[in-house]
Amino acid sequence: MTRDVKEIKKDRLLYTKNKLSANLSYLGILFGVLYFVNIYQSDVNNYYYTITIGLSVVYNLMFLLVTFLSSEGLKNYKISYAYAIIVVGILQIARIWGIPTMAHKATTIIDGVETMVMDDSQFRYCTVMLLLSAAACILAGVIGIYKSVTLNNYKKEKGLE
Amino acid sequence: MASLSLQNLNKIYDNNVQAVFDFNIDINDGEFIVLVGPSGCGKSTTLRMIAGLEDISSGRLIIDGEDVTQKPPKDRDIAMVFQNYALYGHMTIYENMAFSLTLRHEDPNVIHEKVLAAAEILGLTDQLNKKPKQLSGGQRQRVAMGRAIVRTPKVFLFDEPLSNLDAKLRGATRREILLLHKRLGATMIYVTHDQTEALTLADRIVCMSMGYVQQIGTPLELYDNPANLFVASFIGLPPMNFFDCKVEGDKLVGDGIEYSLKDEEKETLKDYAGKVITLGVRPENIVHGEGIKLSVISNENLGQTTLVHGTIGGHKATAKLREWANYKLGDEVSVAFERVHFFDKETTNVIR
Repeated sequence: MTRDVKEIKKDRLLYTKNKLSANLSYLGILFGVLYFVNIYQSDVNNYYYTITIGLSVVYNLMFLLVTFLSSEGLKNYKISYAYAIIVVGILQIARIWGIPTMAHKATTIIDGVETMVMDDSQFRYCTVMLLLSAAACILAGVIGIYKSVTLNNYKKEKGLE
Repeated sequence: MASLSLQNLNKIYDNNVQAVFDFNIDINDGEFIVLVGPSGCGKSTTLRMIAGLEDISSGRLIIDGEDVTQKPPKDRDIAMVFQNYALYGHMTIYENMAFSLTLRHEDPNVIHEKVLAAAEILGLTDQLNKKPKQLSGGQRQRVAMGRAIVRTPKVFLFDEPLSNLDAKLRGATRREILLLHKRLGATMIYVTHDQTEALTLADRIVCMSMGYVQQIGTPLELYDNPANLFVASFIGLPPMNFFDCKVEGDKLVGDGIEYSLKDEEKETLKDYAGKVITLGVRPENIVHGEGIKLSVISNENLGQTTLVHGTIGGHKATAKLREWANYKLGDEVSVAFERVHFFDKETTNVIR
């Protein structure tokens, strides 16, 4: 190689997609899905059939859509999508205080016995999944911002814009 | 770059059809070899045996002194360019060119430099972010070549790479391949059925028919001194004219032909006195003169020359006259043969 490695790395951005950020976004979706399917795991009668779960379902659809769109934007170094996915990541953390925390504190009667809606292990699982999803989304966004800024500066430097 | 030696290569398919018979050639480092012949003559099969895509039934393939007969294609360090480009439609040009190196887990920075260098050579730098469907046929073929170049293989194989291109693009891409060979100095083996490609590209041509090698030589050798009737008829455009003639003393006599033999020709034909041989004359060796009448059927003006199609003594003949002429059906043109070739009627080999 005749050129400086740093220079080559920047130059590669002109021809390669930001697959790392896109893949992290997909990972964020995967952990989000694992969280969402898990909350129905326990037999809790009709505890979940409230407006809360309705909103949660709608939010989850929005999350899937926005994260998937952002992954495509990130692939093409669109910085606005990087900011969007960071916001999504922060919201994933905020969700911990939604259903998981509320269900963890609540009880319901099953076969005449008072039972926790979400036991400790399920609560831990849901929290970890949401945290992993958040981490993947935020990391995707941060890498996206870094790469987009690097690419834009490189383009300006080379007069490619 | 590498030298190759093909020793007694044979290809026999499971149904006992033999596609290649005893193929022998030593190819020098950096040489451009063209395998030429009609469809089904075994040229592509030979190329695929070199690439490792077909098993070698018998014989040996030596690359740079190493016997690779039994080695799988990936271990032969050979790159092949196909007629149909074989590009991945969902990948960009950059990704297509980088793909083989990515599979080999090469450093992405090294891959990048190699792809840019190949793109620069092939004039594809501005196309790297496009998808194959956005490029013309010629550009796609250049991408296919680029994909081979980035690997810096020992040998490049081309399997009729220009067949899908229109005539104009074919000429341009042919010149690019020639420049590429000069620039890379790589050993290249090229398969075509187009003798113009063979004559313009090759350092040496291997002319094949029915699975057999008919002649190996430089383009000029094949054109000037064809080994047999097949090579004589296949190389040269328009093809050579053939007439059956009897050796009668100092003359060759046939239908509408009386050709006076020169001293060295008499010597060549001394064993054929009274026998019938095949006389071959290239259209460009037919000139205005006395002795032979060419009855005109049609006339094609090509600028500096005119192709006159007609008959000599009832046999079809074509003359390439160095003039702008407008002969009409039924006209008779007096011609002479400037240079002739003699072929044995039975063996079809050239008489030397």
